[in-house]
Amino acid sequence: MLLVPCPNCGPRNSADLRYGGESHARPDPATAAPLQWRGYLYLRDNPAGWLRETWYCRSGCRRWFTLERNTATNEFRDPPQPGDKRGAKA
Amino acid sequence: MADSPAFESPVVRSYETSEDGDLLLTDVSATIKWLVRASPDGAVADQLGASFGSSSAAASGATVLGSRPGEWIVLGTAAEAAGAVEGLEGLDSSDLVSCLDWTHGRALFRVTGNEAARMLEKVCSLDWSDPMTPDGAVASASVAKVTCDVARNDVDGTPSYLVFCDRSFGQYLFDALIDAGDEFGLVVGPAGG
Amino acid sequence: MTMSRLEAQPTEVIDRSTTQRFRWNGKRFSGFEGDTIASALAAAGEHVFSRSMKYHRPRGILTADYWDPNLLVQVGDDPNVRAGHRLLEAGMDVQAQNVWPSLRHDIKAANGLVSRFLTAGFYYKTFMRPQKLWPAYERVLATFAPGGKVDPDTPHRYHDKRYTHPDVVVAGAGPAGIEAALAAAAAGARVLLVEHEHAVGGHLRYAHPEPARAALSELRAALDASDVEVLTDSTVTGRYEDNWLGIVQRNHPIAVERLIKARAKVLVVAPGLIERPFVFSGNDRPGVITSGAARRLINLWGVKPGERAVVFTANSDGDAAAADLDRVGVEVAAVIDGRDGRRVSAAQGSSKALEAVLAGGTRTEADLLVVAAGWTAPTSLLNMSGDRPVYDPNAARFFPSDPPGNVLATGGLAGDGSLDELRAHGAATGQLAAERAAAVAHRYQARTARALPVTGDEPAWVADLRVPLRRTHHPELHRSDTHGMIDFSEDVGSKDLVAAAREGYDSVELAKRYTTATMGSAQGKLETVNTVAAIAEARGETIAQVGTTVWRPPYAPLTLGALAGRVFEPVRVSSIHPWHEANGVRTILAGQWIRPDHYGDPAAEVRNVRANVGLIDVTPLGKLDLRGPDIPKLLNLLYTNKWSKLPVGKVRYGMMCAEDGVVLDDGVTGRLGEDHYLMTTTSSGAAGVWEWVENWLQTERPHWRVHVTPVTTAYSSINVAGPKSRELVSRVVEGVDLSPEAFKYMEVRTATVAGVAGCFMWRIGFTGELSFELHVPAGHGMHVWEALMEAGADLGVGPFGLEGQRIMRLEKGHFIVGQDTDGLTLGPSTGLSPLIKLDKDDFAGLPELAWAADRKLPMIVAIQPDDPNVVPEEAAQIVRGDTNEILGRITSSRMSPMLGRAICLGQVEPELAAGGTKVTVLLVSGERISATVMDHHAHFDPDGERLRG
Repeated sequence: MLLVPCPNCGPRNSADLRYGGESHARPDPATAAPLQWRGYLYLRDNPAGWLRETWYCRSGCRRWFTLERNTATNEFRDPPQPGDKRGAKA
Repeated sequence: MADSPAFESPVVRSYETSEDGDLLLTDVSATIKWLVRASPDGAVADQLGASFGSSSAAASGATVLGSRPGEWIVLGTAAEAAGAVEGLEGLDSSDLVSCLDWTHGRALFRVTGNEAARMLEKVCSLDWSDPMTPDGAVASASVAKVTCDVARNDVDGTPSYLVFCDRSFGQYLFDALIDAGDEFGLVVGPAGG
Repeated sequence: MTMSRLEAQPTEVIDRSTTQRFRWNGKRFSGFEGDTIASALAAAGEHVFSRSMKYHRPRGILTADYWDPNLLVQVGDDPNVRAGHRLLEAGMDVQAQNVWPSLRHDIKAANGLVSRFLTAGFYYKTFMRPQKLWPAYERVLATFAPGGKVDPDTPHRYHDKRYTHPDVVVAGAGPAGIEAALAAAAAGARVLLVEHEHAVGGHLRYAHPEPARAALSELRAALDASDVEVLTDSTVTGRYEDNWLGIVQRNHPIAVERLIKARAKVLVVAPGLIERPFVFSGNDRPGVITSGAARRLINLWGVKPGERAVVFTANSDGDAAAADLDRVGVEVAAVIDGRDGRRVSAAQGSSKALEAVLAGGTRTEADLLVVAAGWTAPTSLLNMSGDRPVYDPNAARFFPSDPPGNVLATGGLAGDGSLDELRAHGAATGQLAAERAAAVAHRYQARTARALPVTGDEPAWVADLRVPLRRTHHPELHRSDTHGMIDFSEDVGSKDLVAAAREGYDSVELAKRYTTATMGSAQGKLETVNTVAAIAEARGETIAQVGTTVWRPPYAPLTLGALAGRVFEPVRVSSIHPWHEANGVRTILAGQWIRPDHYGDPAAEVRNVRANVGLIDVTPLGKLDLRGPDIPKLLNLLYTNKWSKLPVGKVRYGMMCAEDGVVLDDGVTGRLGEDHYLMTTTSSGAAGVWEWVENWLQTERPHWRVHVTPVTTAYSSINVAGPKSRELVSRVVEGVDLSPEAFKYMEVRTATVAGVAGCFMWRIGFTGELSFELHVPAGHGMHVWEALMEAGADLGVGPFGLEGQRIMRLEKGHFIVGQDTDGLTLGPSTGLSPLIKLDKDDFAGLPELAWAADRKLPMIVAIQPDDPNVVPEEAAQIVRGDTNEILGRITSSRMSPMLGRAICLGQVEPELAAGGTKVTVLLVSGERISATVMDHHAHFDPDGERLRG
């Protein structure tokens, strides 16, 4: 099981967290065109390599954060930062 | 109706109890518990003393657990807890400070004994070794598949752990802990507060 | 071959003073404590233990250990017990598997006569067409399938689970593994040493020479004196990310099996080597055994494996077997040395009179043919670490390539050497493991909030400066000049693999699946290298060119019970639950909550609420305590309607949609004070809404000043409903004017109830009746409930459950999120478009809801079947006339006790949504009924006069 470096708790089993998926900015709802909004809802880059993603430390500190993970090797780039972009999908 | 009725514990089954065991589990749900929330690095944090993951003793005699970043659980008798919480909400007007009596929201159990960590290993994936979970350590984790706050709070040098869960899980978790402690000769102690 | 018990051996593990009686195929046998099932049977002269899977050829001992594919037996109701490993217990009832009618007279052995038809892919080719006959084929084939019998009535047995965080886990307690564990422990590491067999020592356990025995005693004594935690009869079954290990412990004192999940900082892989069979004609006849089997039988259990032996040896282990045989009085008729290019070519005759045929035609009569043809490197844990082991033709086996730095190999897996050299390599590995583990431990501790502060810098990552073990030349022995068995468990021969390659299945991964070679109970431990060699031979290539299959977890099989571990099924109950139980409740499991469904007659409960007053325990209702000045902003963001002007003391209903506009949750939120609100959510949505709110506050609006605290179970929630509810509540509430003028519908008050201070009370109406919902500190929930019951006795108060509430809300046409809505139901489909305020600047799902406002959407509507007595099933489809074109479905349906007729909610296409529309409902029975869409959602009291009373 992956050990996720929670910036608050320290290394935690991935089962202790909820995966929030790729980190992506929420478009301004006042001006977003349908294509842009649906890209935010449904489209993901899904790279084989470094990915900025969000996690929620559900069993631990109950904080959302973002970090970078290499999806091909499961390495994390540290230190992770508390998140400033929303990650949970609708 | 004049007198406030007695506190009902979430543990409603009755058990044969004894204070005499190498591994003792007690229901201390009646302990007064306050939840304090404020900025993790403001005046309230300074006054309470415990940073996330650690605990401290308040001047009132209450125990303060740094349960989450910017969150504290204050434990003790009604007077101790009230003493530790009093005045916090007005301490720093630039910070949002809230204090909430959580006594009824959380079940609280104490496990004491040299084998307590071995017992907790059966129901929780945290590393309970001394360097990783020393006396005073506070964390949150899944215990028997229930998200709990846990704190190490040794008693007279004997390892002792506090386990908090949602009150509604209390009976389930109490029984799960009894089951986990079975192979270590766990004894249920009389309920306390 | 005739086996018998020898005189006591110096290395034996049996206790000859303790006789254990057991049954084998119904007949009485006995063995000694310390025997395996197989060794006891072998000592008693048994030589056939099973029939092979496809051809039902008689099979005897091959390796005499855990991996022996011929020794799978049924013990009581446990199938597939490995008789080469499982220790004998008194009273065991052991049966042969895959035999019919008996082991000796197996009719299915006739398969052997037609073996040329049962070649690779036989089943695929033969039983493919016609497809409709497959069920018939399947019935016949099933009787020929291998494996034991599972008794579905077997009682649940206790399995256990444990987590552990050692610095170093050593997989394999041979001499190198033990030295690694000792060295790591001496360097200060917490070490867990895991041994697959019943005792530590590896091959030293069955090595006779005095130096080996002395070394074993020394290692055992050192282990006993150390802090190393030793698990025997336990296997590291898998290695996952960041050295997360699965370990199955089979000899736990109180559990059938215990699954240990270990987070090791460094894993030392020291499984030794597994002896592999040699492929030649008749290599699966009883009497043909590996050199390891011969030595184990003699030295561990004092079993004489035969009277007259031929030994085919290509290495020192084979030589040692020949010496052991000679020492215990087995006549060694011939030693064929594979290092000189000589080969055994065939084993013929019966097991009592075996003839070994050498390449060239020389025949030697014997009852035992011992084969030492080389090794399989069990690289499983390395493969699982991402390593791709490399084949070395000079040493005739695979070696580790480049495992990650926190996985270290030692022992035979890493190379060859004298016992001293292997021990030295093990010790160096343990030292390195401890040093690297210290760096990892330092890092974990430094980053873990609760841990003791670390001192000093993180130790440097120590370079691997171990002196590598050498690689001894070993002849590449895979197949002789004849064809024979490769996969003993699956009955796949070298001919089958050649045929598969010829048919185009010439990649090892394809040939494996086509022939099922390596897919049986031995899982490649014995047969992988020979499989690869056969394909390489057919392709005219080398083993290195063909490559090998990837070993995946588990390394050794474990039971489903072990995987399940202890079954944790958390359940929640309210403080009032004991009252429900004492009063005839029928419960229902809703999520994790055990809730009152009813107390015997839900329709009567409904009538009582409508006529008098009822109490329902709604504690699971999600409750979030909100504090701070920015709550109105938060509510405006979460709900579709407006919240800026909710006065203190008022309650409002709101609907939440997700960012895709789909209904997420609903509930009421009340303003308790200037900066203090209580939000309620659906019971099932409580946890999800909390995370949703936290996500908004932490990531999108971190500057907002709001604290959200879940208080669902901090309060016992009791809904008092019915025309007499005001009277009842007034008898227990102090200090609140309950008159309709002073406490209106959709208002909230703080109150003292039955002497309990700090209760909240609001007037809402899910049931459609005048009702007061009390939220009482949970430690007094039972007290308040009982006080209400007592105070209302003369009013006819009674409890009602979830079913009664569901009936009443359906009478009122209130939809339930998740019941009447689904993952595609957009906000406007609920009929609550007036509550979707598109003129707000922002709220979750705003753009989608704005775009949806112009579209015709499926709608939730009330529906009544024209025959009032027919209640359509929930999820019954609404179709177009006599066709099967789906136009909607029934989402909720009940018989209404008040109206005496069937009532429903449903989702229908927009064309059917207008009141008065006739629709056709297709029942599960296939019958079609006619129904009418209603003007309003409410079937009962559409004007809401009762609840405002």
